[in-house]
Order: sequence, then structure tokens, then C-alpha cells
Amino acid sequence: MEETAHKGAEHGNGQSIHLPSPTGWPIMLAFGFTMLLAGLVTTFMISIFGFVFIVAGCVGWFHDVLPHEQHEEVPILEQPVVITTSRAVVERVKLTGEHRPHAAGGTSAVMAGIQGGIAGGIAMAIPAMLYGLITHHSVWYAINLLGGAGVGDWAHVTAAAIATFHWQWLLIACVIHGIMCLLVGLLFVAMLPMLPRYPVVLCGLVAPILWSGIIHSFLGFVNPELSAHISWPWFVVSQIAFGVVAGLIISRQTHIHTSKHLPLAARMGFVIPGMTHHDSDAGTPHGEKETH
Amino acid sequence: MADQTLPIPGPTEIPRIGTAGFSEWLHSWIVTVDHKKLGILYVAYSLFFLLVGGVEAMCIRIQLMFPHNHFVSPQVYDELFTMHGTTMVFLVGMPILFGFANYVVPLMVGARDMAFPRLNALSFWLTAFGGILLYFSFVGGFGLYGMGSAPDVGWFAYAPLTAKAFTPGHNTDYWALALIVAGFGTLGTAINLVATIISMRCRGMTLFRMPLFVWLMLAVSGLTLVTITPLTAAQVMLLIDRYLGGHFFDTQAGGSALIWIHFFWIFGHPEVYVLVLPAFGIASEIIPVFSRKAIFGYSTMVGATIAIFFISLAVWAHHMFTVGLTSVSIAFFVLATMVIAVPTGIKIFNWLATMWGGRLRFDTPMLFCVAFVFQFVIAGLTGVILAVAPWDWELHNSYFVIAHFHYVLVGAIVFNIFAAIYYWFPKVTGRMMSEKLGKWHFWVFFAGFHLTFDPMHVVGLLGMPRSIYTYPANRGWNTLNMVISIGAFVQAIGVLIFVWNLIQSLRHGKEAGNDPWDAWTLEWATPSPPPPYNFAVDPVVRSRRPLWDIKHPDDPDWKYEE
Repeated sequence: MEETAHKGAEHGNGQSIHLPSPTGWPIMLAFGFTMLLAGLVTTFMISIFGFVFIVAGCVGWFHDVLPHEQHEEVPILEQPVVITTSRAVVERVKLTGEHRPHAAGGTSAVMAGIQGGIAGGIAMAIPAMLYGLITHHSVWYAINLLGGAGVGDWAHVTAAAIATFHWQWLLIACVIHGIMCLLVGLLFVAMLPMLPRYPVVLCGLVAPILWSGIIHSFLGFVNPELSAHISWPWFVVSQIAFGVVAGLIISRQTHIHTSKHLPLAARMGFVIPGMTHHDSDAGTPHGEKETH
Repeated sequence: MADQTLPIPGPTEIPRIGTAGFSEWLHSWIVTVDHKKLGILYVAYSLFFLLVGGVEAMCIRIQLMFPHNHFVSPQVYDELFTMHGTTMVFLVGMPILFGFANYVVPLMVGARDMAFPRLNALSFWLTAFGGILLYFSFVGGFGLYGMGSAPDVGWFAYAPLTAKAFTPGHNTDYWALALIVAGFGTLGTAINLVATIISMRCRGMTLFRMPLFVWLMLAVSGLTLVTITPLTAAQVMLLIDRYLGGHFFDTQAGGSALIWIHFFWIFGHPEVYVLVLPAFGIASEIIPVFSRKAIFGYSTMVGATIAIFFISLAVWAHHMFTVGLTSVSIAFFVLATMVIAVPTGIKIFNWLATMWGGRLRFDTPMLFCVAFVFQFVIAGLTGVILAVAPWDWELHNSYFVIAHFHYVLVGAIVFNIFAAIYYWFPKVTGRMMSEKLGKWHFWVFFAGFHLTFDPMHVVGLLGMPRSIYTYPANRGWNTLNMVISIGAFVQAIGVLIFVWNLIQSLRHGKEAGNDPWDAWTLEWATPSPPPPYNFAVDPVVRSRRPLWDIKHPDDPDWKYEE
């Protein structure tokens, strides 16, 4: 058969195969090693006993493999093995466009996500800093709140301390804010084309409110100090500012058209056989099932 | 109908003990370097200790069945839970999974044996003697309480409890020494598996044509090499403290008890993945065969495995949220722990997608795998709960944690161990296990599992701490503990059904043939049991399912994979 090579590995007259010969030295070495350590909890004589076994095991083992590894000839017994199946009929799962009726017909460029993330991040910062300015007379208040969440010594901090400038907190806030905005921008790139109608409304208004609600629900447990200093209405406003600006910028970028008929894995670039049925060379065993 | 005959010679007769005499038979097992025999030895050894560890668990549950109970003394209780944990992790979990790997990995990659057969034998015997040394502690000394010197410091053996001042006698020494011996055995097997998988694959078996079980064992072996070494180092440091007056873990003398906790969990958390990844591998072999579909998302499964490998090395301190870490450290380990749920979730979805639309056959191996998938989801969810530091501060050292990790260790790993035994038993023995008893085993064990570990979450939320000897009657824990203990007994009945099935099937099981499940990987292309040389001719594969290609020559996988 073509799929099975008959590479000759037999020896002698082709009726036997040589394999490593059985040996008792490994068990002796293992026993010796165990005895060596067991002497620590019993008596040193056990350790000496173990040492002798180790030496004997090593010497025996070396004789087994030096100068040549010892083998034994195992005779081949002729007994054909039948490889067959009672499920010879292969049934394919038909994949039509209806399998992914809501799949995106196109997507936006990654750069759009980055631009949207940066713009949204700037827009988001405006109401946040405005809040600090109005309520605590300091633009640093919101920045320090974000930066303070990432440092270790933020316990029983006063509002006055949060309102003053701290370069460490500014640095941390910039890193957190930058990363989060970029990631959410990229998430928008993936999500916006998939939403059926009014994507900017969904991503700009509904999603920020849901997101804020989730954060509100657990922040009290995760970081009670931070939670106590946050004004949630202002928080929601800044989230919406991000969502609307980022959503608008991303949705106005040129779309890259993709085939909505391709399954997710294929669109991600994974080579998985048989994800489509219309091309026989690209058919999939995933879509195959057997019948009796 | 596409029949083809693969001319692989070998005996199909099941060898009988009586033919060569008992002593000769025994000798052949002691001196064997055959990966299949060593695999069987690993599995038999682990099953024996599974029963031992199970008996210890039953004693623990009888003790906790009622408030103010005195079934065993407090000292013996400490020894029981220490030995139960140590046994189940080091003498059952790892050896049995490495035993499966020993048996099937060379067959799956088309090799005649492991890369280093003699090292393989040494590794098994080190593991075996390590276990024997650990249990010798029960009789190996008078100990403090006339109950031998069995370890009694918990399976994690936290410092400073392990210091000579707090644990005199040899209890802790037995723990450290036995695990050092067994650890060297584990390292040897891991090296052997890596070498076998990297260098012994048959022609055509590229890395991306390997069965997923082989991929998982490659990751597990690598993880073992990385994680067993710090544990062994820590145990040597502990022995230096105890025997030579060292101060590694003596805080008052300039050492740090915290170092031990770091060392232990740098080993301990990846260890969970060392145990669960082979279980994933087993599921990834069984679910496609019993769904009659190829595994969904092979490449993503491999990617998720590699991701788990790396991320699992960065989550250890989530066991240490209560010791006083900085906020930054806590934030890092919270996030890392949550991130590991992503590749794990990918695997879950891929198993579900494999089953979706398939022609499912609920034979016993598949039943265990399906239960595993759903139980592991719950285990993962409680894991994410515990990954949130404030939750962990509340629940740390409570029975909620015990429930969570038993959901992983039993609900995922033990279920898949049973699945693997039912799946590969016909290959190993040439006989089928009884389906009827198998289903009885599954349903009884399944009921017992949930009866035990579901209420354990609740009793943990109600504040019951782990490792306590007994409890007052006015805490609201009485009924729940009673239910948990009854569940443990039900599980024990399930295990006894399994043991009975094993014995009966060995003697009277119906002939299996070489491929009873109509499977697709290379081990099913050999007779059952396989001959010592596995393959008389070296196989060549062209796809991930070589037997599919042979069974369906008009529609082979390689057409789609190339």
C-alpha cells in the first residue's frame, strides 16, 4: 500500500527484530539510591548498603552498554492486522451562507483601531479632567485615581493628596490609559462591522454603560479605595466620550471586504482542512461524519 | 466499503501467566525495559495507591461525618490528610499519566520503544521505591505518638512547621526523602518522553501530524523538567535545615519561611497542569473517535497547549494572596491567573465543537469525557473566583478551595484517567471491559462525585476551614458534612465496581481485536496486545489520522492537510 512504508528494520534473515535486552541493573540502581537516602531516617548502615547497590548497579549498567549496547533478537510472528471500518460512508456537513448569516462582510483596518483608540482616549480624558477641575480644583485628580489603582501604597489616601501632582502616578496612568485605549480601539475594529445596525450607538452608548455597570459591580471588592473616590456619573460620561469618538473614527474608515462565507478559524488564518465544502481540495474532515 | 490490510505481524494471543511459571513471569517484569510493560507497571502501581489514598480519604470523611467525632486521633488525622494529598498527587496522578504516556506515546508516534529504555526502567523503579519509602514511614519508626513517622505537615509542608523545633522526629524527613527519590524518577521519564517525541517519530509524522495526546505529553514533560527541579531543590534545602543546621527557612535566623512557599508553589501550580494536560490529551483522543469527527481546531489546540505551558509558570503566587504581597504583585498574579482561562476555554470550545454535529456514541470512555468537559468548566469558574484576590482573602484555606481543586483533580483528571483505562484497556490486554459494569461505574461515581464536592463549596462558603480535625455542632455544617461523607462512600462503591470490572474483564472480557473503537491513531494498527517490537515495519503517515487514510482511501485526510 502506498501509505505504509515497508522500511526494512529486520535483522538476520528478516525474521527477527533486535531490541534492548532486559536488565536488572536499573532496579538495583534505584533500590540503592533509595537505600542511600533511607539511611538518613534509619541507620547509616542502610546508606552504606545503598551505596554498595549503587556501585554495583552502575558497574552492571556500564557493562550492559559498553562497548556495545546489548540487544536481544525478538522473532517476528506473522499475523496480519486488518484495518477496516464498518462506517465507510462519509457524510459531509453542508456549509451554506446561512451558517453565518450575521458574519461581517468586511472589517476595518487595524490602523483605524489605533487611530480610534488614540482619539477616543483623548476625548475620554477631557470629561475626566473636567470632573477633577470642577469638584477638586485639580486636573490631576482623575489621573491620580487611575494611576493610584496601579501602585501598592495607596491606602487611606485623602482627596487633597489625590488632587496634587505625582509623577509616578501620572506615568502609571499614562501607561494604563494608553494600553487600554489601544486595545479597546482594536476591539472596536473587530466588533463594529459585526453589529447589525447603528454600530456607533451600540458601541458608543450601550457598551460603555454596560461596561461601567460591570466595573461598578466588582470594583468595590477589588479596589475599595479606588471605588470610594470615583464619581460614577462622570465615569459613564467619559466612557461614552471614548465610545462615540472611537466608534465614529473607526466606522468612517475604508472597509476591507472579507468573505463572510469563510468560517472564523479560516479567517483567522488557521489552516484547518475541510472548512469549506465547495472546493474538494479544501474540504474538511471536520465536516465529515460517518454513517453505518 | 474500503478495506485494506496492513501487514503488521505480531501475536494476538493473550499471554498467560501459567505458561512460563510464576518466577519466570515475575522476573520478566522486574528486568523489563519494554515501554509497554513499564507503562502497565506504572498504571498498576498508581491504581494500588489510588485505593490506598482512597481509604485515607474515607477515614477523613468518617472523622468529619459528625461534629465532635473521634474516629481517629488528631495526630493520625494530620497524617491521614497529609498522606492522602501526597499520595494522590505524587503516587497516583503523575505516575498513572506518565504510565499511559509510556504505553501509548511510542505506539502513537510509530516507534519501537522509548528513546532510553533502560532510563525508563530506572525512572519507574525510582518512582516505585519513592512510594514504598513514603509508606514505610508508617512502620519505620515509633514516631511521637506510637503511630509510626508518617508525614503530618500537609502535602505542601509549609515552613516553619517543618523545622526541627516544630516537627521533631522523622515525619517530615520521610516526606522530603521519598519525594526526592520519586522526583528523580519523574524527571527521568520526562526526559525520555521529550527525547522520544522529538527524535523517534516515524516517517511522515511531522510535529503537526502528531496526535494531540503526544503534543500534550511533550508540553507536560517540559513542564515537569521546569517544575520538579525547584521542588527537589527546596526539599534538599529543607533537609540541610533539618540535618545540618541550615537556616534557609528559619526566619529568626535570617532565612525566610516565605521562600519555601514560593518554591513549593512554583512547583505546585504548574503541577496542576502537569496533571491536567494529559487529561486534556486523553479527552482530545477519545472525543473525536466517539463523535466520529476529526478534532476541531487542531492548530488552536496545540497553540492553547503551548500558551498554557508558559502562562502556568506565571501564576504560582495566586496561592499566596494572604501572605502579604504588594498590590502590584497581586494585580499581576490575578491577571495571569485569569488569562490562563483563555487557552483553557479554547480547548473546551473545541471539544464541544468536535461533538457538535457528530454521530455521538456514549460508550463508557465517552461518558467520562463528557462529564469531564462540564465538570472542568465548573472547576475553571471556581478557579477564576479564587483568582480574584479579595475573594481569595475570604475563601483561602476554606473548604471552598478543597472543593475547587477536587473538581479539577477528580472531576477532570480522575474522570479522564477512567476514560483512558476504558479506552486503551482493549489495546493493552486484548479484551474489552464490560460496558454494563462500566456504565454502572460511571453513574455511581458521577453521583458520588457531585454528592461529595458540590456541597463542599457551600460548607466552604459557610466558613469551614480545611484540615480541621473536628468542628462544633452549632456552625450549620453538620448536614452538609454528612452529605459529603455519604457522597464519598458512593464514590468508593463506584471505584469498587471499576475494580471488579477490571478483574472480570481481564479474565473473561470479550476479545477486542486490534481496533475495537474504529479509531484513527497508530496504536490501533498493532495487534492487541502489541508485540514487543510494536511495528514489524516502520509505519509512514501522511496525515493526523493515518488509519482514517487507510480506511477511506478515496477520501484521505492528507488531501486536505497538505
